[in-house]
Amino acid sequence: MQLVSACTKTLLDSRGKAAAMEKFSISILLIISLLPFLCSSFSQESPTDRRILVLLDDFSLKSSHSIFFSSLKSRGFDLDFKLADDPKLALQRYGQYLYDGLVLFSPSVERFGVALDLAAVLDFVDSGHDLIVAADASASDLIKSIATECGVDFDEDPSALVIDHKTFAVSEIEGDHTLIAADDFIQSDVILGKTKIEAPVLFKGIAHSINGANGLALKVLSASPSAYSANPSSKLSSPPSLTGSTISLVSVMQARNNARIMITGSLDMFSNRCFRSGVQNAESAIKYDKSGNEQFVAELTKWIFHERGHLKAVNVRHHKLGETDEPAMYRIKDDLEFYVEIYEWSGKSWEPYVANDAQVQFYMMSPYVLKTLSTDQKGLYHTTFKVPDVYGVFQFKVEYERLGYTSLSLSKQIPVRPFRHNEYERFITTAFPYYGASFATMAGFFIFSFVYLYNK
Amino acid sequence: MARSTSKDAQALFNSLRSAYSATPTSFKIIDLYVGFAVFTALIQVVYMAIVGSFPFNSFLSGVLSCVGTAVLAVCLRIQVNKENKEFKDLPPERAFADFVLCNLVLHLVIMNFLG
Repeated sequence: MQLVSACTKTLLDSRGKAAAMEKFSISILLIISLLPFLCSSFSQESPTDRRILVLLDDFSLKSSHSIFFSSLKSRGFDLDFKLADDPKLALQRYGQYLYDGLVLFSPSVERFGVALDLAAVLDFVDSGHDLIVAADASASDLIKSIATECGVDFDEDPSALVIDHKTFAVSEIEGDHTLIAADDFIQSDVILGKTKIEAPVLFKGIAHSINGANGLALKVLSASPSAYSANPSSKLSSPPSLTGSTISLVSVMQARNNARIMITGSLDMFSNRCFRSGVQNAESAIKYDKSGNEQFVAELTKWIFHERGHLKAVNVRHHKLGETDEPAMYRIKDDLEFYVEIYEWSGKSWEPYVANDAQVQFYMMSPYVLKTLSTDQKGLYHTTFKVPDVYGVFQFKVEYERLGYTSLSLSKQIPVRPFRHNEYERFITTAFPYYGASFATMAGFFIFSFVYLYNK
Repeated sequence: MARSTSKDAQALFNSLRSAYSATPTSFKIIDLYVGFAVFTALIQVVYMAIVGSFPFNSFLSGVLSCVGTAVLAVCLRIQVNKENKEFKDLPPERAFADFVLCNLVLHLVIMNFLG
């Protein structure tokens, strides 16, 4: 707006008013035509999130976690820092979401600002957006209930921390074994990247477990079998409820609409202190100069914000063997070819997805044909099969769900008709006796009538 | 008891045979023709029981041609027999002409239905 007014001022001063009005309207038109390029947001063509809202308890987190935030910014995200109880907080305006991702680094918040509450956060996730929740020893009920809605249960005891007397991180300051060095990662190249994380990850915080009935949540970093969740400053009166590898330190959940959620019990895991410090595992006594926190957090946030592991399947085509255009209907026992293209988002562009376990079903109430698709390594998957001997309305179904990847679910309907009466074989071999009997009867009748007439 | 029943059966069979040999030759020819048609129909039914009824229309067509022509031959025999009071005034040529015409129609239908 200031640019426009400066332009008009110079124009009006230098020339006469008439010519200036012309130049003014042309410049307005030029500026308006550039406006579409100013909108750069999450869209189907580019699934990586762009605008992230970061909610903090206090702004000192901006400096104590500065390495994490600056790495996010360098990957192209627009971070918007706000206090969690800021009254002007809003996730959406006029029905449109203002952000593509939400990072909750505010474990002790009791109530969010006016426009945000548990239901609003859950609606945000239900509309396909991503979420990172980091809890702490001071986690409030609100944060714990957000986690429960996502399928993860934090320990109910508010003073319990994860303690491990065998795989704790050796440190000069803290001797109560609450800072643990965890290296029990999930085996998945999609979620944690191809490079193996050598050094263990430093963790100090509360424990959570995954609800057994939930099939969508995964443990990305589990505690070792010797860990348990208890109050470090008081004696244990009864055995702890959460022990061993059921304790999850970092969990992720991929919802059915492909929204990704990360829940962890330690805000310190993201801090500069943990990123920079070295790690020595008390049990194995190997000393690493740098903990695995920075690599772990960077790779996991790449997965969470859809820079990796996001698939799309496009261009479903099918045709009869030998032809090229798609028919509106098939006949039973036809041979047909089926094509689909599957691409994976690499963070910047769509790359061909290469796998040997994608399958297509020819489905009517149950799959009559199930074939594994073969790929040409450039993203095109195809197969050939014979239409079964049943007529009806079928669907080509591609249902693909793999650990860490978005789920693909495509279906295309196609009717299948039976033979027309002139498409059967002309003479059916099993019916030859009947043909023979009819002709024999005709011959018999002919001979009989001769014999009967000329019989004296 | 058994011996008397078997003797009775034999006596019955012999009396039937002697009565039958008294019928005129033309009737015996018709009876032979009916027997041939029914036999062909039975063979087809046994074949269908073994193989299954896949081209059902062909099966029906084959069996119907045999059964139909047997029925028409029986009608011919009834109409030609002088001892039947019902058909006293019917000339036997007319009966034979009916027989031929009906058989022609029957075989036309069979050929169409055979597939």
